Amino acid sequence: MDPYLVSVLSNTGVISFVALSAYLLLLTGEVSFGQQAFFAIGAYAAGIATAMWGWPLALALVWSAAAGAGCAALIGIPTLRLHGVYFAIATLAFAEMVRILFELLRYRVEIDGQLVGPDGTDGFRDIRYIFDNNIEEFEFLVLIYAVLAIVLLGFMLLERSRLGVMFRMIGGDATLASLQGIAVARYKVLAAGIAGGLAAVGGGLYAHLTTYVEPRIFDVMLGVHTLAYGLIGGLGTALGPLLGVAIDIGLLESVRIFAGYRMIIFGGLVALLLIVRPRGLLDERAVHKIGQLLRRATRGTASMHDSTGAEGRTKGGLQ
Amino acid sequence: MKAMVRALAVMIALAVWHPGAAHAQVRAKAEVTCVSAGEKLHYDCIFTLANARSGEPISGVTLSVGADMPSMPGMHNAPPVKATEQPAKGVYTARLVLEMHGDWAVRLDLSGAVRDRVIAVLRFEDDQVTSIKP
Repeated sequence: MDPYLVSVLSNTGVISFVALSAYLLLLTGEVSFGQQAFFAIGAYAAGIATAMWGWPLALALVWSAAAGAGCAALIGIPTLRLHGVYFAIATLAFAEMVRILFELLRYRVEIDGQLVGPDGTDGFRDIRYIFDNNIEEFEFLVLIYAVLAIVLLGFMLLERSRLGVMFRMIGGDATLASLQGIAVARYKVLAAGIAGGLAAVGGGLYAHLTTYVEPRIFDVMLGVHTLAYGLIGGLGTALGPLLGVAIDIGLLESVRIFAGYRMIIFGGLVALLLIVRPRGLLDERAVHKIGQLLRRATRGTASMHDSTGAEGRTKGGLQ
Repeated sequence: MKAMVRALAVMIALAVWHPGAAHAQVRAKAEVTCVSAGEKLHYDCIFTLANARSGEPISGVTLSVGADMPSMPGMHNAPPVKATEQPAKGVYTARLVLEMHGDWAVRLDLSGAVRDRVIAVLRFEDDQVTSIKP
């Protein structure tokens, strides 16, 4: 496969994690501009684990997910008492705080005669796990999408579970959900924790994909984009944010004529969709319609098979 | 719920799996110098590659050069171009075509005899290029 295509697909894959993380919070009715903070925590945690502590990648990813989920749950306890724009500003402030903390973080150790580790604003280089273990870029792409498939499977199960219904109820009307006996605060903290863990796994994969991270990667621009992916792609299904990522990184990237104007086009697209389809392309109604069409098509195929079978049986009977 | 437990079990299995101990690879370092090529957002770059430990020049590798904007991860990048090896040992040249001025993380991907990646962060302006984090 063309290395550039592998690179674009890999970027699409890792950014999908943080997009899904923002989507999960949107389901519970919260707008977060701060999911890039957990992406950063995951990137640094996983990078430190493999490059400095010599951990295997899988364990580093589990560790980064735990760090992201823990931090998100901790920050969720005080901030989820806030609502709407207050919560959005609190998440943005937290993300900036994390970014500045990483600008101050200097933790380096000597490995093979070279200093390795986070070096403040100079970033964290030499996250060389894929090179040290002879993992090809394509193999890493497969790994990214394998982990993403597991996450999507988790979302599918969540959407069909009682927990998923409660998340959507809270997102629909928190007061009404509370009156139904749902512990709104507890479930919101749980959603924040899962979302933080997801973003952190994406960050861990990103750090190993690029081999280099620095604090400004995780600034507000990334936060705005991750939120926009859900709003463009749609809130009806977990595939919505992935569609958003595919439109931005995949489609706009492949049409190089936009070049430096991509952000303007992307911003315009977000504005337009918020007016025309406030809950995105794959909103609840669209998902319902697609489901109906698929069911009809499946039923049609099944009945066709039945009638063909019956015809065959009749013919067989006549012979 | 059972499926979630199964997925968790797979994750744990992955966590304890190790693809094998890291073996000593050649680590590369690079000096990057870029100048404006006279056309807007086109830059001619010279890359001097060397072994990070011994300082010996690295020749005979395939060098692919791309660039990403650190402030917009995955969103603005320059598709990789193949660098041309020069007669001087360890020296390669390539022309980079960027989307806009600003700070770019130039990504050097070495393949062939040495497989490695070196990142150099440079500030590309209209008339000059300065190295931020060599």
